[in-house]
Amino acid sequence: MLLVARRLVRLTIVLLAVTFFTFFLLDRSPGDPAAALAGENATEEVIEQKRAELGLDRPLVERYVDWLGGAVQLDFGDSIVTAGLSSWDLIRESLPKTLELMILAELMAIAISVPLAMASATRPGGLVDRMASSTAFGLLALPSFVLGIYLAFVFGVHLGWFPTIVNRLPGLNDDPLENLRQMFLPSLTLALNLVAVYHRLLRSDLIETLQEDFVVLAQVRGLSDRRIMWRHVLRPSSLNFTTAVGLNVAGLIGGALIIEVLFSINGMGRLVIESVVLEDFNVVAAVVALLTVGYVTMNFVVDLLYSVLDPRIRHGAR
Amino acid sequence: MAPVDATAVLNDVGERAAVSPSADIASTGASQSTPPPRALGVTFWLAAGWIAVLLFVAVFADLLPVRDPDALGIRTREVEKFERPGWNAPFGGDGVGHDQFARVIAGTRPALIIGISVTLIGGLIGMAVGLASGYLRGKLDAVSALLIDMALAFPGLVLVIAVRAAFGNSIYVFVALFSVASVPAYARIVRGATLSLSERAFVDVAQAMGASKLRILWRELAPNIAVPALAFAFIGFALVIVAEGGLAFVGLSLDQITWGQLIADGTGEINEHPHVSLIPATVMFLTILSFNLVGDGIRSHFAPREVATRRRFRTEGPPSPSSGGSTLRVDQLRTTLHTQSGDVRVVDDVSFELDAGDCLAIVGESGSGKTMMLRSIVGAFALADVTRSGTVEVEGTDMLRIAPDELRSVLGSHIGMVPQNPLTALNPVRRIETQIIEPMRAHRSISKSQARAEALELMQHVGIPDPERRLRDYPHQLSGGMRQRITIAIALANQPKLLLADEPTTALDVTVQDQILRLLLGLQRDLEMAMILVTHDLAVVRGFADRVAIAYGGQLVESGTIERIFNDPKHRYTAALLSSVPDLELEPHSRLVTIEGQPPPLIDPSPGCRFAPRCPAATDLCHTTEPERTDDEDRWFRCHFPVTGDAEIETAGSRSTRPADAIRAETQGVN
Repeated sequence: MLLVARRLVRLTIVLLAVTFFTFFLLDRSPGDPAAALAGENATEEVIEQKRAELGLDRPLVERYVDWLGGAVQLDFGDSIVTAGLSSWDLIRESLPKTLELMILAELMAIAISVPLAMASATRPGGLVDRMASSTAFGLLALPSFVLGIYLAFVFGVHLGWFPTIVNRLPGLNDDPLENLRQMFLPSLTLALNLVAVYHRLLRSDLIETLQEDFVVLAQVRGLSDRRIMWRHVLRPSSLNFTTAVGLNVAGLIGGALIIEVLFSINGMGRLVIESVVLEDFNVVAAVVALLTVGYVTMNFVVDLLYSVLDPRIRHGAR
Repeated sequence: MAPVDATAVLNDVGERAAVSPSADIASTGASQSTPPPRALGVTFWLAAGWIAVLLFVAVFADLLPVRDPDALGIRTREVEKFERPGWNAPFGGDGVGHDQFARVIAGTRPALIIGISVTLIGGLIGMAVGLASGYLRGKLDAVSALLIDMALAFPGLVLVIAVRAAFGNSIYVFVALFSVASVPAYARIVRGATLSLSERAFVDVAQAMGASKLRILWRELAPNIAVPALAFAFIGFALVIVAEGGLAFVGLSLDQITWGQLIADGTGEINEHPHVSLIPATVMFLTILSFNLVGDGIRSHFAPREVATRRRFRTEGPPSPSSGGSTLRVDQLRTTLHTQSGDVRVVDDVSFELDAGDCLAIVGESGSGKTMMLRSIVGAFALADVTRSGTVEVEGTDMLRIAPDELRSVLGSHIGMVPQNPLTALNPVRRIETQIIEPMRAHRSISKSQARAEALELMQHVGIPDPERRLRDYPHQLSGGMRQRITIAIALANQPKLLLADEPTTALDVTVQDQILRLLLGLQRDLEMAMILVTHDLAVVRGFADRVAIAYGGQLVESGTIERIFNDPKHRYTAALLSSVPDLELEPHSRLVTIEGQPPPLIDPSPGCRFAPRCPAATDLCHTTEPERTDDEDRWFRCHFPVTGDAEIETAGSRSTRPADAIRAETQGVN
């Protein structure tokens, strides 16, 4: 219990620090939202008036505290650029696409990397392992935008199986097939980068577990290799893997952002870039806050998963 | 951003490489010698060549005979709009007739300038931070850990965007930004290496000898950290190129031509004119790949311990004719582990036979190969490259040459194995019940409830109180002694005919040791099993086993019934072992006799008697000719000059030729 409390305190500190720093940075940037809002030919007085309207004339800390109070109730202020919509409206519109992209990518990555890592670890140095490991090495050298271009060229242009651009994406409920068809290439691009990471990590942990006494003894008991791999080796080897999956969410957000630009998906990534370019700071602050909350929550979930995976942690024996 | 995950992994792999997982198997005399640096392959030199070409191009870009990268083909007519790659323009033209080849070349310079300066600035600062926090630890370490935590939670892209918005898009801003961003990665790697190094003995020694902390830091640690840092520098370099590309992609790159921009500009045309983006993308890919390859090559060149995990079992030579009848027959068994440092002959010409109800004790100091003899019988080698020859027969079945399926069936139903360390022998994440029932269900057609009933019975049999409750427990909830009882129960799950116990009490409390031994011996007699008890503790043997065999240097050097070995040892090693057992009848404070020197290396063993270097009675003959085993099956030894009658038993001490530092034979009896 104490441990949970301490973690919560630490996570709150991280949350506050990150949002305040963002607030500070946005405040320092040269653009002036009041001037932008007032229009090009506005007089100094009109701008001042706008500034007072937006509350920008007050001290930074005061505005931050104010913002924080609203943020807790999901009130992040109105979008300065898009008239009539609040920041939350804009986020709500774009969040599902980004979430879908990330979840699909994670699922694909896990589905590919777990069996592959197990095949590699069963015969380290064997044909499968050498091929998988060098592919992973190559994938690590492929930035998502380069990989995305390759995939789009092969599967989209050359074979014509999937569209190279996400266009008028139907909802997952309305037309799941078309939705998945359009999201396939973006998700795969994001997933393959993860596969490289996961394969390396899980492979080396599996190999380490394979040398454990309890695995060797299971072999001496005449259990089949497949059974040993799935029942004895996989779970004790998956702690680092779980961490990577969980914490990668932060990295995944960055990756998703570039993928969204590449395949023109109207997700959070596009939203934040546009907002920054147009100096729509309420939206930026809202997105940052949301991302940080997401990251911090994932951290927490990973901790919970630990205790599911390893009973020693559940019982506080480790 | 993507760079973050890649760093984490490469980082992780780097740290992992420092600990070799398979060392424990090879440690039987092999681990001392370090393998030679691994050769750098063709790919490494290809990659290095590509980097050299890039450097050349970046430096001499202005002198190269290429077009002006900004010349508009639309106007000059030299390159057409979207011209395909060909003689005129090797990389083709873009949407306004720019010569793509010239533009890719123009992009080389900013890529290398940013890469080199960020690697230098960020790397040096990061190394300093990592060294300091890894070596001095304490508060500094805690603070930097928290900062790294926050940096990880912070959406890096927003930082980049905000900074760029505030300071513009000149190359200096990018260098500063990326340098700051790369500090945590370097700091983490160097910190990890420093931590593991500063815990090693030589740093303590240096400190004890009066070296100041700073001097240790510089002289001892710096060279050891240079390699991982240098290896990572190449990988970090690649990450910088990726980061610039990512920014270019979201429209926030430099104020000059970069590869990232070329790729980003071309993506819109992927359907009609794929070459516009594919070519710069491939140039970038090859560059990143090259830097990764060089970094990885450097790392594995200097730290080649990582691998050695090939799994291969082979059997050589024909079996000896089966005599049938006995529970276990081992004949001229030889086991060789092929490691990077050479072939280790862990078991060398071992023969013995066991009938139902027999109990053979194999005794030897650590490194004598006694555990390997057991493992060779069942083929328990984890990840290793192993060759066995000779014969192992269990109930008439040739264990070295049958099909894997049959082997599994014999292993599961005829053999039970009790491990050395019950703390590592049970799967930590599975319940006791699952672990006991599993072998029953795998080898017999038995219902789950019936298996459970049998498990309960077994647990009572091995003396576990409240078995119902214990079945639901996980291993960590039990004491060491209880866990060893569980492993015994698992070993007995299918009523085996042969029980192999590998130092079953070494890892346990002294108070429990005796209980477990009594339990094992009682079970062995009740169930009429044949049993091999491997131990380094001669005192144990006296009470329990029928016969004893002495292991030395991968061989058995003497064997016979308990009485004859104890009363009349023939081999000088046996004699030395016996005299190193504390004798309660001696007067207090009399010195224990120890055997000087260490067990022989098992790689390229000397041609003579294995014990000769430590033997007080060794002659030239002993050093050149291996003694044959004497003939009497019930009592034999390998020695040219056996101990005679009541002769005084000497031990090597004065005549030892080996450094006596690390070694006091483990065989000093009861711990």
